[in-house]
Amino acid sequence: MIDAILLFADALYGALVIALACSTLGVYVVLRRIVFVGAALAQISSAGIALALFLSGIGIGAFGLTQHPVALALIVTLAGAMVFAGSGRQRVPPDATIGAAYAMAAAAGILLIAKAASGEAHDIFLQGNILGITRTDTYVLFAIAAPVLIAHAVFYKEFLFISFDRETARTLGYNVTFWNLFFYLTLGLVIAFAMQFAGVLLVFNFLVLPAVAGLLIARSMRGMFAVAIIASLTASVFGFSLSVVFDLPTGPAIIAVSGALLLIAWLIRIAQQR
Amino acid sequence: MSALVTFDRASLGYGRRAVLSNLSFEIREGDFLGLVGPNGSGKTTILRAILGALQPIAGSVTRAEGLRFGYVPQRDQVDYGYPLSVVDVVLMGRYDRIGLGKRPSKADRELACDALEHVGIRDLSERPLANLSGGQKQRTLIARALVGDPNVLILDEPTNGMDLVSMTQILGLVRELHERDGLTVLMVSHALNEVANYVERIALVADGKVHIGSTDEIMSEETLSNMYGIPVEVSSFNGLRIVVARRAGANTDLHD
Repeated sequence: MIDAILLFADALYGALVIALACSTLGVYVVLRRIVFVGAALAQISSAGIALALFLSGIGIGAFGLTQHPVALALIVTLAGAMVFAGSGRQRVPPDATIGAAYAMAAAAGILLIAKAASGEAHDIFLQGNILGITRTDTYVLFAIAAPVLIAHAVFYKEFLFISFDRETARTLGYNVTFWNLFFYLTLGLVIAFAMQFAGVLLVFNFLVLPAVAGLLIARSMRGMFAVAIIASLTASVFGFSLSVVFDLPTGPAIIAVSGALLLIAWLIRIAQQR
Repeated sequence: MSALVTFDRASLGYGRRAVLSNLSFEIREGDFLGLVGPNGSGKTTILRAILGALQPIAGSVTRAEGLRFGYVPQRDQVDYGYPLSVVDVVLMGRYDRIGLGKRPSKADRELACDALEHVGIRDLSERPLANLSGGQKQRTLIARALVGDPNVLILDEPTNGMDLVSMTQILGLVRELHERDGLTVLMVSHALNEVANYVERIALVADGKVHIGSTDEIMSEETLSNMYGIPVEVSSFNGLRIVVARRAGANTDLHD
């Protein structure tokens, strides 16, 4: 059994990097009540890949961008992140903007893939292809995740303050627009790269479920980060192993373990309250 | 007393649309000023201009050099879902002094505890913010504003949604901070009756204008009737002033 799992060791390491990065940022995603921003950005990223495949199929190079779908996905995801970062005081409510972006990105992705000459099945965007992660992919994922996580560790109090009470932060001289944009760009960066391998559902899972487990049982921000990270890594290892041993789709298996861990966290919460 | 914030023929608004025009008044050192007006009158617009978050369309709003605000937002503006202790929240008032990318020191933590002592809830310092009562949350936010050692304490609707006891305690605490520590205080509220018995001056906002004066000047029936556009009666009960809208044929018998 172990041998079978070790055959996919590189893929497991990649999944762990994605889990670590997404669950850390997921703490803010959950606390700021922007969980559907995660879903919308993942969907926008998948539409970016579909756009690259479609343009490539009809012979448009776009300065080489269409040869590297991740590059185009990154550009459209960061553009989407910037739009969400600035959607606080508009006439259209922020959740409506997110919903519209999600629906349009999902539809655009499906339409573009349907007409792409060398497109992959659309399922790949929803379910991802975790097992296909190579060692090089893992290095790339780590090279993206490490600076993002370091930035979040160094500027923890800045990200916390502008998330918790931006008006007061503004009165103390914080450039709230800058920090908010910085936060969304780190989120967009992580999602754009994680999406290539994990798919919309698994990225959404890593952003939300571990952080919710943390929120249920932790009594401090540090505790919430710790629980979220441990839950996401545990779900990755167990879900990955179960999928290999029982020949299950990897993404949904990881999500199922995340759900079980969330249930355990909820039971702990009930026990804490008694 | 020197002026800390000066409005000089300032017009305030969003885009090109002026919400308030030609405002000229000062917030002076040692002031205890109530910024009062009905909902939608433009109090928040003035507040944003005072804090520097909104630039005037015309005229000027100037702040004294080195001026530091201690801002207490409306309670419902703060998200109590975060797993933060009371002292964690108070420490935020020192974040800008601590510096970019640095963590609060033991000394910062002690200052936060002192601020909590100042508002009477030091014993709650490690308690989760979410578990506090409305009055305790408000005291936490006041402690956060005080820990940064401000020149001006600004409270935005500090008694919104509070019961009578909590409201009286919070307003009493604010008055104590003004009288005991000589702190300049600006209290923003839609509730004239609550504020009028605590502050020393009132800036009444209505119909795009600001009428500023001592509490005695503003709390006259003539001034209030003109500003609100309806007949108003000012009565007193046990030394407290109460403003009521006059109804035709009604007898308001509250005089001492």
